Amino acid sequence: MVNRVLARKLARDLRHRKGALIALIAMVTVGVGIFVGMSGVYRDLDGAKENYYRSNLLADFTVDLKRAPEWTAEAVGRLPNVRAVRSRIHQSVLVDLEDRTTPLPGIALSLPNDGHSIINGLMMRSGIRFSHDEAEEVILDRQFAEANHLEPGDRIKVLLLDKQHDLLVVGTAMSPEFVYLIPPGGGLAPDPAGYAVMYLPRKFLQNSSDLNGSYNELVGLSYDTSRRALEDTLVLIKEQLEPYGVTNTTPIQDQTSASIVQDELDNLKTTARIFPVIFLGVAALVLNILMRRMTAQHRVVIGTLRALGYSSGTITRHYLGHGLIVGATGGIAGAAFGWWLQGAMVGMYRQFFAMPGIDRHFHPEVFAVGCAIAMCFALAGAFRGSRQAAKLEPAEAMRPPPPEQGARVLPERIPLFWNRLSFQWKMIFRAVFRNPFRSSVSMLASAVATALLVASLSMYDSTYYMMDYHFTRLFHHDLTLSLRDPEGMGSLSEVRGMPAVSYTEPQLDVMCDMSNGPYRKRTAVTGLAPNNILYTPLDSRGNKVVVPATGVILTRKLAEILNVGVGEQIKLRPLIARREQVMAPVVGIVDTYLGLSAYCDIHYLSTLLGEYRTANSILTRVYPGAFTLPLMEQIRRRPKVIGVTERLRALQQVQETIGDFMGAFFFITVLFAGIIAFGSMLNTALVSLSEREREVGTFRVLGYSSGQIARIFSGESFLLNGMGIVLGVGLGIGVAHLLSLAFNTELYRYPAIIHPSRLMLSAALMVLFVGSAQLIVFRMIRGLQWLEVLKVKE
Amino acid sequence: MNPSENKVVVSVQSVGKIYRMGEVDVPALRDSSIDIHKGEFLVIVGPSGSGKSTLLNLIGGMDRPTSGRIIFDGKDISRASDAELTLFRRLQVGFIFQFYNLVPTLTALENVQVAVELVPDAMDPMEALSLVQLEDRADYFPSQLSGGQQQRVSIARALAGNPSLLLCDEPTGALDIETSRQVLDLLVNLSRNLGKTVVLITHNGAIARAGDRIAQIRDGTIASIVRNEHPTPVKEIRW
Repeated sequence: MVNRVLARKLARDLRHRKGALIALIAMVTVGVGIFVGMSGVYRDLDGAKENYYRSNLLADFTVDLKRAPEWTAEAVGRLPNVRAVRSRIHQSVLVDLEDRTTPLPGIALSLPNDGHSIINGLMMRSGIRFSHDEAEEVILDRQFAEANHLEPGDRIKVLLLDKQHDLLVVGTAMSPEFVYLIPPGGGLAPDPAGYAVMYLPRKFLQNSSDLNGSYNELVGLSYDTSRRALEDTLVLIKEQLEPYGVTNTTPIQDQTSASIVQDELDNLKTTARIFPVIFLGVAALVLNILMRRMTAQHRVVIGTLRALGYSSGTITRHYLGHGLIVGATGGIAGAAFGWWLQGAMVGMYRQFFAMPGIDRHFHPEVFAVGCAIAMCFALAGAFRGSRQAAKLEPAEAMRPPPPEQGARVLPERIPLFWNRLSFQWKMIFRAVFRNPFRSSVSMLASAVATALLVASLSMYDSTYYMMDYHFTRLFHHDLTLSLRDPEGMGSLSEVRGMPAVSYTEPQLDVMCDMSNGPYRKRTAVTGLAPNNILYTPLDSRGNKVVVPATGVILTRKLAEILNVGVGEQIKLRPLIARREQVMAPVVGIVDTYLGLSAYCDIHYLSTLLGEYRTANSILTRVYPGAFTLPLMEQIRRRPKVIGVTERLRALQQVQETIGDFMGAFFFITVLFAGIIAFGSMLNTALVSLSEREREVGTFRVLGYSSGQIARIFSGESFLLNGMGIVLGVGLGIGVAHLLSLAFNTELYRYPAIIHPSRLMLSAALMVLFVGSAQLIVFRMIRGLQWLEVLKVKE
Repeated sequence: MNPSENKVVVSVQSVGKIYRMGEVDVPALRDSSIDIHKGEFLVIVGPSGSGKSTLLNLIGGMDRPTSGRIIFDGKDISRASDAELTLFRRLQVGFIFQFYNLVPTLTALENVQVAVELVPDAMDPMEALSLVQLEDRADYFPSQLSGGQQQRVSIARALAGNPSLLLCDEPTGALDIETSRQVLDLLVNLSRNLGKTVVLITHNGAIARAGDRIAQIRDGTIASIVRNEHPTPVKEIRW
């Protein structure tokens, strides 16, 4: 039963310390909020994904090939672990929109007319399906249609192979294949307006792609969808389809969109675990300090209550009540904050991911767990103080506590240092060393907050560094013209002769199978022109990768996968043209940030294809400020050109996508770091002040001003937090490097960019937080009834 | 030397102090007047709650009166700002408390330094400690000292700033008889030998006999002020 008087005492105790408690509750709120918000978003996103993948039958594997007769698909369907397959046509296209100067690149995929319940099925968003299998009709990807203001009933010009078709838009749709659509070679972010995904009637696409009775892509479902099982299955499929020129096999784990969505879910799960532990852990430690101080101050009261017959259990429960209130209030506020955060993040993911059903749902179990965690941490924080209170025997409690022991502290053993200190600094050092637990918690909280700032700023800088690296340091061209097939150098001269073009450079990208004994990988090899200046792959030190006349240079990640070093040889087999396997010497290994590239001389690669000096993309520079409309007109008339990418437009696209997100991310990080730093500093400083009120009174009597006394307290705070900041900078740098290791995937590697100026900024923000907490302490010193403090014996 | 012949250091003129406790006004001191002369040893005696600590705090610039004036060296400190009062305490007053109020995390010497730091023409802290015969305990922390020794450190701290006034609030209240005698002897000697003006408040009538003048305070007002022509030597005082 709750004792009413004690309940009233509890309420008044809480009111008495409301500033410190609000700061603590804010920490709990953030911890619970992150848990509730992120766990909720994880469930919403994962649920939407599962639902979408399942109802639209997202393929477990994809096989690309040159051309295979339709009957071969059935044979694949009979292989072990293959549940179902669908053959389709996958064709690059160029779309000509009236309001665009540049033809847009894209892909067309075939769709059977009775396209219900098919693998990689569509979710229609507007319009209808095709009128028949050969109709010149198109269903557009919803995002592309919306970004370009296209609706059913409009017509678009689509270049397929060498013929332009005037297609009627009959509908718009979404596909689980393209939840996060990064254009091939397009870099870091989706570009819904600039890259077209469209679905065409199967027969029509077969005819216009010169693939009558054939297909060039197989999508399928499996029983066992683990990576291992899928890779084994793909080996079997590859053997089966070998005569038809398999160019690529992709298990779902490597499918770009699916793997990005999965990475995001994994990140959410990790964040939902780590952040709450940090915030609630620091809050529990600070509460521990606060409660121990409170029970020390209440010593006589506790003694009196015990003398009056209150049991030690009642006293324990009474003081645990403080933890309970902090936990419950923080839990409820955190649940509300989490609910808001979940809504905000769901809104953000709706923009990032083209997926239906990303809605905020109420997950009662998440709220319950969030509140329960808050209560556990808060009760754990209050436990020691409460036990300390309950253990006091009445007679002992009513006697004054033993005087504080004055003894030498560690720095006093260094007289050369110690004797130079003023008495203020001696007090500061002694206070720090005599309260090792409190000092450690202060330092820990500062270190955590600083590390949070340093790591976040590093992520912010790394993201922009990657953007800058990709768009301005690797590439120096204005346009990339992608060719359907490798062409001779005549195409280069042709482009060079077009209006506004100032410089061109050929490039040859060829998918190849590479192997070294049991280690194998399929990836693109880039053939670079001698003296290349428009695309200059760099190693991570910023040096240009120079390719020799023979042999290949591998990125470090690829060399690791192939388990190969410089001087060794790998088997290299291009997946186009002659497809002959050769032994290629590895002449260098470079560190790069994007993809699993390999580089070699363009002529060397051409020779491997059995060709002489060919290229399948032409990097183009135009004269600054030149009018490019006539150039685009000419490109449009070249059926060999299947794509045009504008570098600056792509950069702008990425900046728009990432910019807002990074801004919000930075703001939230500073806010969270501020809460953790401010909350812990304020609490420890207030506890220190309450322990030393009598000293403050004495100093005031001796003629010290409030400011002079405040300087002693801030000295202690700045010393501890200063050490915490230094530790935090080191910790933050470590975390940044860990994050960079964690993001070391085949798609990209994340450099840990740490600018000294950002370390200074983090430290400066921390000083600001310490300063703000100290202002409150100063106000309290100024308002302290010091005369009253001196009247009573402690 | 007859202290009464010396000039007045502090003049307390019709001073009253009312504390407001919630919605109730509690008069702590009423219409009290007294002049304190340079170099005298004034003892203010009265029972608990009679207003003696309030009077001492007002004299020491730790509080402001509700009515009346307190003139120190020609200036009315009852109208002084917080900053002026801080400066007044720093330069003119040395306080000695019943419970010593030493900083537990500083050694005896450092506790004296605390006062010395603020005052331009202060004593050497070691010299102040030697005045109370504690130079050999300079490096001891308060917890390593006896009550009497702690009070002597607090006296050394009060002396170190060369104040005009030494204000002692029940300085022997927490000490045993023998130690109390030593502390009182020290304070009397400071007045007699160094010419310090000492104001001591106590509820112990026996101590009062050591004073040059004895002010009786009762129910918040000074009831009588008696000149003690023959102060009792401390060693003859019976507690």
